[in-house]
Amino acid sequence: MEQNSSHPPYPQVLASPPGAMTPSLPIFSPMMPYGTGLTPQPVQNTNSLSLLEEQQRQQQQQQQQQQQQAASQQQGGMVGGSGQTPQLYHSQVSTTTALPGNTPLYTTPLTPMTPITPATPASESSGIVPQLQNIVSTVNLGCKLDLKTIALRARNAEYNPKRFAAVIMRIREPRTTALIFSSGKMVCTGAKSEEQSRLAARKYARVVQKLGFPAKFLDFKIQNMVGSCDVKFPIRLEGLVLTHQQFSSYEPELFPGLIYRMIKPRIVLLIFVSGKVVLTGAKVRGEIYEAFENIYPILKGFRKTT
Amino acid sequence: MPSNCPECGSSNVVEDDLYSQRQWVCVDCGSVVSEGHLTTTLSEETQGIAVPYHASTEESKKPCRNLIAGYSRVRALCRILRLSTDMESAVVSLFGRAYNHPNFIYVTLTKKEILGGCCVLSVCRQCNWPVAMGTVGYLLGVENATLGAVYREFTKALNIEISTVGIMDMLESFCYDFKLGPQQVEEVFAEPPQRLVDRTSALIELAADAWIVTGRHPLPLLVAAVYLAWQSLNPTVRMKYTLIKFCKIGQAPEQSWRRSRDSVVKRLKELRDVLCKLGRALPWLRGGTVEPNTVVQLVDDILKNRRALLMRAVRNYEHQLQNEAQPAQMTECDNKPSESNCSDSPSSKTPELIDPIQVECESPSDKEATDCQLPPNHWSKSHLFLPPCVKSRKRQRVDAPQPEVTGDEDISDSEIESYIRSQDEIEMYLKVQKKLKET
Repeated sequence: MEQNSSHPPYPQVLASPPGAMTPSLPIFSPMMPYGTGLTPQPVQNTNSLSLLEEQQRQQQQQQQQQQQQAASQQQGGMVGGSGQTPQLYHSQVSTTTALPGNTPLYTTPLTPMTPITPATPASESSGIVPQLQNIVSTVNLGCKLDLKTIALRARNAEYNPKRFAAVIMRIREPRTTALIFSSGKMVCTGAKSEEQSRLAARKYARVVQKLGFPAKFLDFKIQNMVGSCDVKFPIRLEGLVLTHQQFSSYEPELFPGLIYRMIKPRIVLLIFVSGKVVLTGAKVRGEIYEAFENIYPILKGFRKTT
Repeated sequence: MPSNCPECGSSNVVEDDLYSQRQWVCVDCGSVVSEGHLTTTLSEETQGIAVPYHASTEESKKPCRNLIAGYSRVRALCRILRLSTDMESAVVSLFGRAYNHPNFIYVTLTKKEILGGCCVLSVCRQCNWPVAMGTVGYLLGVENATLGAVYREFTKALNIEISTVGIMDMLESFCYDFKLGPQQVEEVFAEPPQRLVDRTSALIELAADAWIVTGRHPLPLLVAAVYLAWQSLNPTVRMKYTLIKFCKIGQAPEQSWRRSRDSVVKRLKELRDVLCKLGRALPWLRGGTVEPNTVVQLVDDILKNRRALLMRAVRNYEHQLQNEAQPAQMTECDNKPSESNCSDSPSSKTPELIDPIQVECESPSDKEATDCQLPPNHWSKSHLFLPPCVKSRKRQRVDAPQPEVTGDEDISDSEIESYIRSQDEIEMYLKVQKKLKET
């Protein structure tokens, strides 16, 4: 840590080639609006980060602060080519750091709309926790099933082979729905937590067992988790799509929300003007929380009070 | 090879070809013992066969009939939208690429036509030529949703970067579509397009600040804004003309208002409400009422001072909220929307407000409309201008309390039994099914 602070301020800039998005590098980071006057300070972040990553982030913040001051003095009214990928920094998990001395001071021209950002803003974590709304999981019952028998002998099953080649079964507690296929594979949806999903899947397997099939419980895996939350302020979606156009897709004629595809973690967020955010595509709960902590500072930047 | 002549019985048989036919001839009596085939099969011939198509050096494939029809349709679309020749050729080449892409070569003809529309859309966006999806959908005769699905597939398959087109870009070409020149309509209705564009863009900026624009279809809002702009440019005469009349006078492009008339009416109402809220903050009105039907007369003043009016209206609202935070007396005033009761309330303590009574009395009616749906301390109460979807929530979502489970608990047999039919039930079910099948 000491050796870095003695270096002259080099920008921690990864000059990504314009238009390219290398998936191997974790290069997403929250962005702050230009010139808000908030100086980045070391953040007491309550996320599950290791100490080492905390220290790395603090180093980056200090150096970026110095670089930002230097840049603002020399930059003037420089307006660069639009459509360049904005300067991106590692946010929470940094596998590489920029080597001092290798990157020049100004790699790509800066536009007012794509500001240099500190790694994380000065505020603490948002204090809002996304609620899980739906978990989709799969399990292999390990034996071939006769769907007609199941549909006949179970009360809570429906089977319409012309429409769909699986039995749709429902249980009351936890309130879930399962699709049971003749190969023995099963999909369980509707649970609100991982444990509930596992319990529900076991109950379905037990029902199938009681119906006379040698059902087992193999390879239980959670395939998708959906969460939602409310940031409690309206969001300017047009501004967000302009500054983050590589990640966002906003077509008001097709869908009223903005579809934000975050790279790290790989989550899709639906952001609405009312401030409600839906996060989907996670395999573990932590990805949803991490994605929301990443997007919250960005959304705060687009909160406008008239 | 035959060795004995059947005629004379000698064994002196030689091979003596007649031209290209092999023959075995007896030397003694001269009879032909046997002969080969006169004709040869294709596999025996090595020269003189026509080279098949697939083995030729012919590189270019002739485009199929549907592709040619697709090209002409795409060119027609470009001409309707009056694109430049560069853009037209870009569209045609993009369509050729898309058509022959493995994702799209086997789809239905309707989808291929929609694909042509997507190519037009994509090139227009790249060249910053503002075309709404609704326009392209209208020209193709498909809904926005279908067009959108094909558009998403298309951009993903061909790796095209999507750029959004904002409502302000579409504004100018939209306004110019209205035929309101002095030769086309009467003098009182005529409006030079540039004036209309300026007034409409000011109105749309105001609407954007008041959160009416984000997340909504742009075309209905454009129609409503153009109508209000046209009215406000000569309010005394034009106020009595309804929206439908205006569309007929100006010969508005049909696709913009015919399909989405309800949306246009809703946007009009929202725009008028926003203008009323701002109109009430006008200092020289001194407490006069501002009604949605007559707010058009004030639009000129409102737009000139919109920044100041916005700040003033928000400030008034915040002051009023602070006053309401004081207990007891204000609650009575809140429940009675009549003016006299409000003016009796002692809480109008803010001397810098010119029309505190007006503002207080307008908010109780707002609160009554929303109180029944939102919880009392909802965050939206502290904002004057909000997206309408926040304020008008039709149904409160109640999250049922979730049981705390570990996932590995014991499952009671009785619970599982409750999901399985008894023998009697099964028999009854089969009986009923048989009866239903017979009928």
